[in-house]
Amino acid sequence: MKVLVPVKRVIDYNVKVRVKADQTGVELANVKMSMNPFDEISIEEAIRLKEAGHAEEVIAVSVGVQQCQETIRTALAMGADRGIHVVHDGDIEPLVVAKILKELVDKEGPSIVIVGKQAIDDDSNQTGQMLAALLGWGQATFVSKVEIEGDSIKATREVDGGLETISVMLPAVLTTDLRLNEPRYASLPNIMKAKKKPIEQFTPVELGVDPSCRIEILKVAEPPTREAGVKVSDVGELVDKLRNTAKVI
Amino acid sequence: MNFMSSEDQIAYRDSVATMLAAEVTAESIRARWDSPKGIDEKLIEQLNELGLNTMLVPESCGGLGLSELDFILLAQECGRAALPEPLVDNVLVANAMLADVACSDLVSAKQCEDLLSEVAAGKVMLACGHWINPFINMAHIHQWLLLSHGDEVHLVESSAVELLPQRSADPSRRIFKVNWQPKAETRIANGEAGAGLWRRALNRGALGVAAQLIGLSESILHRAVGFTADREQFGRPVGSNQAVKHLLADCAVSLEFAKPVMARAAYAVGSNSSDADCAVSHAKVAASRAAQLCARHGMQVHGAMGYTWECDLHIWMKRCWAIDKTWGDAGFHKNRIHERLLDPSTLMGAGHTFTSATSKTYNSQEGAA
Repeated sequence: MKVLVPVKRVIDYNVKVRVKADQTGVELANVKMSMNPFDEISIEEAIRLKEAGHAEEVIAVSVGVQQCQETIRTALAMGADRGIHVVHDGDIEPLVVAKILKELVDKEGPSIVIVGKQAIDDDSNQTGQMLAALLGWGQATFVSKVEIEGDSIKATREVDGGLETISVMLPAVLTTDLRLNEPRYASLPNIMKAKKKPIEQFTPVELGVDPSCRIEILKVAEPPTREAGVKVSDVGELVDKLRNTAKVI
Repeated sequence: MNFMSSEDQIAYRDSVATMLAAEVTAESIRARWDSPKGIDEKLIEQLNELGLNTMLVPESCGGLGLSELDFILLAQECGRAALPEPLVDNVLVANAMLADVACSDLVSAKQCEDLLSEVAAGKVMLACGHWINPFINMAHIHQWLLLSHGDEVHLVESSAVELLPQRSADPSRRIFKVNWQPKAETRIANGEAGAGLWRRALNRGALGVAAQLIGLSESILHRAVGFTADREQFGRPVGSNQAVKHLLADCAVSLEFAKPVMARAAYAVGSNSSDADCAVSHAKVAASRAAQLCARHGMQVHGAMGYTWECDLHIWMKRCWAIDKTWGDAGFHKNRIHERLLDPSTLMGAGHTFTSATSKTYNSQEGAA
């Protein structure tokens, strides 16, 4: 079976994000970009499924600007077999990405789509769920363990109260949580091989998807600066401030 | 002349940089100081899995067939991380030297080829003891040593030599003096061939130090800029004062001047150019100067904290001071530059800066190296 893995190009997690002066978004000029860490986990899981003999092919997909090819190359260097790049220059929303992925799923026929649970830039946490709904497939979100059992997947999910284990019929959409695996580093021979792996290109229009945005960003602002603390002389003063100034007791 | 790194070179660098940033932290370096061997063996395995140990070994000998140009950015990242493991000397000098013999028509070629396959598999490690270095770093973790006796190259099992531990200014380095006796059966090259091998080893070693010094300096500068931007006095960051920021601007300028010199030296070594000696010495001198400046100013702008053992800064500073004297000190390398400049046959001037590289491009992707 085939495994499809969407990979998103985001600001590197080590970079301190700065808001643009006009508050229309965050500064992207001369900022280091890399693959969304949850998508790295997704790619790693797909490769492990292939290495375990459950999958024959891993396809990495990215939607966005021309430089997304670098992100796809990273996925190919990790071990994905081929890439698909849906070129789009402007902003793109999770619903549009889900519709594009649905078209690619119809075209490629994968049995599993492994999506990062969220991207670290917009933290939307929507694409995987929307894709499952559009496809009418079962979904296992926030998975921290995946086992293939015949024509179903036994998935352990991270939920508020602890861990939930569910069984989902294939085909299915999985969204990956942080503890699912530890992604491998791309080796030098694999980086060299990745250059020879094919990347197909499409536009959203070619796939029959309207990429226009339905959400308008009104303002982006930095969180308020944390104010300095106050030293109190005794417990009585502390209780007084908690009661009358902070009003928490 | 295209001085840009190729996409592949940047991809190799990013892959290694990501790994080192995640695996080599100040805490993990401090933990090595108290460990018996002073290294992280798991990390060495991971680096081998990336394919680094055979990076400069020709494809005909089972390596990746890449050049010094491809490795130089990785050496810079090793410096940036203050990597205690002797990766740069292993890959850039010892393994490459062994590959040079293995791919030659010397009678010892087969023996070296066999050993090279074990190195490639990560079963054994090989260090190089050049006459210019009185001590070998981390000699105790290597199974084989390449040792010099005049122009002769000897391949010696480390169990057959006596290792005398010495104390380094840098606690991440475990250096050893080697007591050994040359024997005919350990000699793998001599005469002109041996001299050529040692010359290339010296150039590769000095180039690796230059690259590491630049990475170390960049890390020191990054820390110094971060500290002076955060540390406030009289209601504003200390870095906003000219007395502080101009020190760091000087560091940045000296680093920017050192980088292209290092890149040119890597090109000269990779292409086995006749001016490689001078280019490498120039790079070593420029990188050393930048590193000394960054270490001194980095410590100054940290105030009293910069002198303490608790402040991580000294991990990078001491590495600068320790490796600066390896593979030839400033006097040795300045003499090599003087020799070149005073040689009447040397072609000087802008038109001859890249004499051996005319009509070629710098990055290996485009086929020059």
